[in-house]
Amino acid sequence: MTAPSPDGGAAPTGHATPSPGWGGAALFRAFSRRSDASAVAATTVLFVAFSLGTANFLSPFNQFNVWRAASQNVFIALGQAMVVLIGGMNLSLGAIGGLTVVIIGHSIEVLGWPPALAVAAGLATGGACGLLNGFFISRFRLNSFVVTLASSFVFQGLVNGISQGRPYSKIPASFTAVGKGAFLGMPNLLLLAAVALVLIHVAFRYTVVGRQLLATGGNAETARLSGIKTGRMVVLANVLSGLFGSLAAALWVSRMGTAQPATGGDWLIVSFAVTVIGGTALSGGTISAPGFLFAGLLMALIRNGLIMLGVNVYFEQSYLGCIIMLAVLVEYFRTTVASRARRL
Amino acid sequence: MLEIRSIAKSFPGVQALADVSVTFRSGEIHAVLGENGAGKSTLLRVLCGVVQPDAGRLVLDGAPLFLRDYRDAIANRISTVHQEIQVVPLASVAENIMLDKLALFRRGPFLDWPRLEAEARRRMEQVGLGVPPRTPAGALSAAQKQLAAIARALSSGARLLLLDEPTSSLTSHEAATLFSLLRRLRADGVAIVFVSHKLEEVLALCDTITVLRDGRLIGTRPRSELDRDLIVEMMIGRTMVDRHRGLLPVRPGGPVLEVRGLRSEFFDGLDLVLRPGEILGLYGLVGSGRSELARTIIGEYPHAGGEIRVHGERARISCVHDALHRYGIGYVSENRKEDGLILGASVTTNIAVTMWGKLADRIPGFFNPRRELAHARAMIDRLEIRTPSPFQIVANLSGGNQQKVSIAKWLAAGCDILIIDEPTVGVDVGAKSYIHELIWKMASEEGKSVILISSDMPEMISLARRILVFKEFRVVAELDDLNATTLSHEEVGRRIGAVLA
Repeated sequence: MTAPSPDGGAAPTGHATPSPGWGGAALFRAFSRRSDASAVAATTVLFVAFSLGTANFLSPFNQFNVWRAASQNVFIALGQAMVVLIGGMNLSLGAIGGLTVVIIGHSIEVLGWPPALAVAAGLATGGACGLLNGFFISRFRLNSFVVTLASSFVFQGLVNGISQGRPYSKIPASFTAVGKGAFLGMPNLLLLAAVALVLIHVAFRYTVVGRQLLATGGNAETARLSGIKTGRMVVLANVLSGLFGSLAAALWVSRMGTAQPATGGDWLIVSFAVTVIGGTALSGGTISAPGFLFAGLLMALIRNGLIMLGVNVYFEQSYLGCIIMLAVLVEYFRTTVASRARRL
Repeated sequence: MLEIRSIAKSFPGVQALADVSVTFRSGEIHAVLGENGAGKSTLLRVLCGVVQPDAGRLVLDGAPLFLRDYRDAIANRISTVHQEIQVVPLASVAENIMLDKLALFRRGPFLDWPRLEAEARRRMEQVGLGVPPRTPAGALSAAQKQLAAIARALSSGARLLLLDEPTSSLTSHEAATLFSLLRRLRADGVAIVFVSHKLEEVLALCDTITVLRDGRLIGTRPRSELDRDLIVEMMIGRTMVDRHRGLLPVRPGGPVLEVRGLRSEFFDGLDLVLRPGEILGLYGLVGSGRSELARTIIGEYPHAGGEIRVHGERARISCVHDALHRYGIGYVSENRKEDGLILGASVTTNIAVTMWGKLADRIPGFFNPRRELAHARAMIDRLEIRTPSPFQIVANLSGGNQQKVSIAKWLAAGCDILIIDEPTVGVDVGAKSYIHELIWKMASEEGKSVILISSDMPEMISLARRILVFKEFRVVAELDDLNATTLSHEEVGRRIGAVLA
């Protein structure tokens, strides 16, 4: 299911397998070549460990929360992945999220707009922010790091300026139904994330534009010399990044029931962690839809597990950082082993 | 001084060196010759410690020598001047020359600038580099950078100096200066290994000549025993026989591509005409403007004046997208790894990258991957691309098969004007003759019009039936009678040589 640039049947020899005669050896090898293998493995191990180790982990209430948080992570990560897959980054993702939250809150509470119109305004804001980033990056051939670092301050300033630091709490129940509700026992957010991931999978496998985006990420020079308008691809990727950032923000408001201007503060690390652990290479050119769900769940599990284990919440970030580092290391060893096997 | 004994080295899919033994002596300029892919660069990389041989050994002054890396080689006073001249552009010439020895010029925690510059100046005088030591290295000309690189090698006390195509970016005058320096170094007892494609300069400069072919040693002989024809025979060997391809059929109709009075950053009034079904060769040294012309035609580089006409009509090409989708012009890049292929993507993706738009199904913007795969499989069969599957990552293919993929994507796109830039660099001999055959058939059987850019003289003569000779961004000669009579390779080579001299 790994979307484009599938790892071929390259490796003549695989990794050390439990025993040579084991029937699942081939399956194991095929699995370990997948770019999202680490995420799937780590998530499964953690899930089982928490299930056995803590009493309340499997309770319906906790499960509902974990999966809802995981889904939220998926949307945040998609915002980052849209630019990571073309070899860029969006440091302003969190600020775009914050700005969207404020626009939605302001539209509903101060301007008295209906929720649908407020969300539309929020998404338009996110798209416009992405367009601005993309324009500067592609038109002036600037580094996405510099552009989005600068624009993150611009957007964050707007957040503080518009909201004056004050949360908007008059969010109607019709709005929160999406984020708080469930369908057939599953959080609505999870269903939405699943739909989004299916769309992403289809878009990057079956559409011309999706494949051209991946080609641009694989090698922008080659893509341009192959007749792909890479400048437009860069703009498009940034607009998509902004849109997914806003979408994540709209769902955030819907889930929390308030529009907090501080939203987006921790999105940067979450978005990169989920993207990378999910198997989307930072160098660009690949994307794995199922990887997002596993990596998003992994992040949610880690946070949930830390709370269940009674860890001091003030140190939460340190734990998260260590665990992400660990995940990246695992990924590093997986790819070295895979490439070594290929060379033999 | 340095002996290599029965060295062998293989890379995936290629036996780069097999049982090669050569002795390099002090006070001798030793040329290593061979076609692209003959193993010259691998041999150099073994000598400078970058590559470890699979078998065989190195013997330095009678004692066995093991080079783990490049630094090991320098410690053993073996220094290399690479083909792509590397300098730190913002640092001064003096720093660049002393780059690996800056620690020796310490005064406390600081650099002793006067001493550093004095030492650098001494080395610069030795190689005849007459610029102030504080000049930023980025401001030097290619030839001056070359001299600085040699000065750096000498400052390490090099006894064995390896030069990889040192004149590829130099003018003939600059090359002459370099040669007189090399002769002085020879007189000082330095052993010099000289890798070059240019037989004339090898014959004029070198004392001993070693020829490699397909990774094997063909022979090491003193210069006095050899002449040009003999060397060519040693280099090309048996493959000489199948090189005569006859004449191309003359097809009716006006020019498919015309460039008139092209002016840009690079060119000042350049003209070119490509006729239907012909193979037009652009011959010249690296950096003589051939690739720049190709990239200007496809809209990658802008042009300020003049016009490009396709099938008689003025073409408006502002990017590669226009060139490909409006006018059917394809460009096979000379750097397949840098901008010709997406190395991390599959063979299928690389072949289909130019045609996704055309594969679109009933729903606009969507396409059926099965049709993509069918096209890719067809190309894999047609070009005999050796790959375990269409999903194989291109980075894992051999150079020759990568090159086939990079040509395949333009055939898949259905281009009828193809600009092919250095199609066989770093490609093994088998794949090379296959690619030659492919290019020949595209023109002779399918009637595609091909512009072939190559610095490989035998390749150029074997394929092109009209040749424009480039020098310093101008066309200095046109050989337009190649499709009328069957001239011998030597005759054509001599005429091109005469123009460039």
